[in-house]
Amino acid sequence: MPWYLYLALKQLFPSGRRFPFFTAISVTGVALGVAVLIVVTSVMSGFEWGIRQMMVDTEGEVQVQARLPMDATGEILQRIRTTPGVAAATPFVKGFVMAMADNRPTFPTFRGIDLASVESVANLKRYMRAGSLDDLDDDSVVLSSILARSLGAYPGDQIEIYSPLLIQKLKSDEVFLPRRMRVVGLFEVGHQQLDSSTIYGTLRTGQEIFGLGRAVHGVDVRIKPDANEEAVAAQLNNVLPPGVRAMTWMETWDDFLWALHLEKRINFFLLLIIVLVAAFSVMSSLLIAVVRKTREIGLLSALGARTRDVALCFCAQAFIVGLAGTVLGLVFGFAVLAVRNEIVHGIARLLHREETLRELYQFSDLPSHPLASDIVLTIVFSIVFSTLAGLIPAWRAARLKPVEALRHE
Amino acid sequence: MSEAVLTAQQLRKDYLSGDRRIEVLRGVDLAVTAGESVSIRGESGSGKSTLLNLLAGLDAPDGGSLAWAGAAARAERRAAFLGMVFQAFYLIPEIDALANVLMAARMVRSPGVAERARAKELMARVGLAERATHLPGQLSGGERQRVAVARALMNSPKLLLADEPTGNLDEHTGDAVIDLLLSLCRETGTALVLVTHNAAYAQKTGRQLFLREGLLH
Repeated sequence: MPWYLYLALKQLFPSGRRFPFFTAISVTGVALGVAVLIVVTSVMSGFEWGIRQMMVDTEGEVQVQARLPMDATGEILQRIRTTPGVAAATPFVKGFVMAMADNRPTFPTFRGIDLASVESVANLKRYMRAGSLDDLDDDSVVLSSILARSLGAYPGDQIEIYSPLLIQKLKSDEVFLPRRMRVVGLFEVGHQQLDSSTIYGTLRTGQEIFGLGRAVHGVDVRIKPDANEEAVAAQLNNVLPPGVRAMTWMETWDDFLWALHLEKRINFFLLLIIVLVAAFSVMSSLLIAVVRKTREIGLLSALGARTRDVALCFCAQAFIVGLAGTVLGLVFGFAVLAVRNEIVHGIARLLHREETLRELYQFSDLPSHPLASDIVLTIVFSIVFSTLAGLIPAWRAARLKPVEALRHE
Repeated sequence: MSEAVLTAQQLRKDYLSGDRRIEVLRGVDLAVTAGESVSIRGESGSGKSTLLNLLAGLDAPDGGSLAWAGAAARAERRAAFLGMVFQAFYLIPEIDALANVLMAARMVRSPGVAERARAKELMARVGLAERATHLPGQLSGGERQRVAVARALMNSPKLLLADEPTGNLDEHTGDAVIDLLLSLCRETGTALVLVTHNAAYAQKTGRQLFLREGLLH
C-alpha cells in the first residue's frame, strides 16, 4: 500500500484510539445525505412503480388504437391475437360523457369493456372496493371512487349518462334521452386522475352511447410473460392496417411518465444539496487537518515524500470519508426503507391521522422500489463530491514549503 | 581517502527582514566523508538550522552547490540517502512507534518482511522493543527521540542530520540519546552532522565546527 493511502487511513481511523470526531462528523454528513437520497428515490420509484403496475393492470402492456373507430370484432382482433408474444386482447370504447346524479353533473371518461375477454387482459377485480364486476351488464356501470363521491352515487343508486351524440341530435331537432344506469360497484386504482373521472360499462353500452355500431376505439393487449412489450408493439404494427397503430403503455402514458420522472429527478437534485453540504463539511475538516498537521506535512517532506503524494494523502482521506459515508448511508437508507411502514404508521397513530393518510394519499403502506440506476447515481455523486472536496485541502498541503511547515507553531 | 557523502560549496542563504537583506550563510564549504561525525555549534540565530535544512535539501540555497555522494542533491533521493532527527521529534501521533519507524521505509517502497524485521531490530537497538506498539503519546520525550533516531536509520542512510536532538530533553536523557546516535552511526558507518548548542556533545564527534557570521570555522 502506498504510504499516502496508509497514512490517510491511519489519520482517519487511528489504531488503538477513539474514532476521531472530525471523521465521525464528516462520515455522518455524507451518510445522512446518501440515506435521504436512497429513501426518497426508492419511495418515489415505489409510487411510480405502483402507478405503472396499475396502468398495465387496467389496460395491458400494449394498446392498439385507430384514428377512426375500427371494426375489431373480426379480422383485426384475430390478427392481434395471433401475433407472436400476444397472450390476450380485448376491445374497448372510450370517450367523454356527462354523468348526473341528483342534478350534480360531472364529465368523466366512459370506458366500455368486453366482459367476455376483459379479464384475460385487465385485472380490474383487484381494484374493486365495493360491489362486483360480475354484476356489470348493459344497464349498469362501475364508478371510480372519487367520482362516486362527487356524484353522491353508490352501489344500488341510479345515475344518468348523456352521450356526446346529444348535441348532434339536438341540431337535427331529435330528442335523445339520457341512459339511466344502475351503479353496481366502485373501484379505486390509487391514481387521482383515474379515480376521479372513470366509469366502466359494457362494450355494448359504450358502442350505443358513442353511436359506434359494432366498431371500437381500440384494443388492449396483454403480452406473454417472456415477451418484450416494444417488440410485440413493433410486430403488431407490421400486421395492422394503415391508420391503426400499436403503442406500448409507456408511449400511451408518455407525458405522464415524463412528468413523474422529472419530478423524481428534481427531487434527486434538490436532495443532492445535502451531499454537497456534507462535502463542504469534509473540506472544512480537512482544511483544519492541514493546519493542525502542518509540521507533520513538513516531516513527510523531510522523510522524502513527494509533493504529489502529500496531496494524494488528503485526497485519499476525502475519498475514504466519501466511501465510508456512502456505505453507511446505504445501510442506513435500506434499514429505514425496511421499517418505513412502521415509521409512517407510528407517526400517523401518534397524530391520530391513519384514516387521513389513506383517504388523502390513497395508500396505507408506503411503497418502495429501489432502482439500481438511482443507487449507482447516488453512490457516484456522493463519492465524487467528497473526493472533489479534498482537492483544496490537498492543494494547500502540497504547496507548503517543508522548512516553513517544520517551523510552524 | 574515504568517499565524500556530502559536499557543500559556497552555500549562501539570505533572508529579507523588511527592506533589509540579511545574509545568514555567506559561502559555507563543508565536506563530510562516510562514517564521519561532525558537530556544528553556533549562537542562537547564527543559521545552524538553516544550514542543516540546506544540507537536507529541504530549502534551496541562494548560491553555491550541494552534492550527496558526488551527485546533485535532489528531493527524490532524500528518502534513501539521508535520515533526519529533529529537536521536536515529529512522530506521527496516529500510528505506533514501530509504524513510525517503518514510515521512513514506506517512502521508498511498501515494507515487506525484511523491512519489518529491520524496524523491530532498530527498535530493540534503541531499547524500545517492548514499546513498539505504543503510540507516541504514550512515550516519554526521550523514548520519542529514540524512536525518531530509529526512523532516521531505517533506510540505512549514508548521512544522518540531527538538529538539536537533545533540545527538548533533560541532561541525563540527552546524554543517552547522543551516545545512542553516535554509537549507531559508528556501527552502521553512517556519516553524522550534529547541530548542537552543547559543547560536551560536540566534543564527542570526530570534527567540531562553529558557525559564525555565516561561515563555518
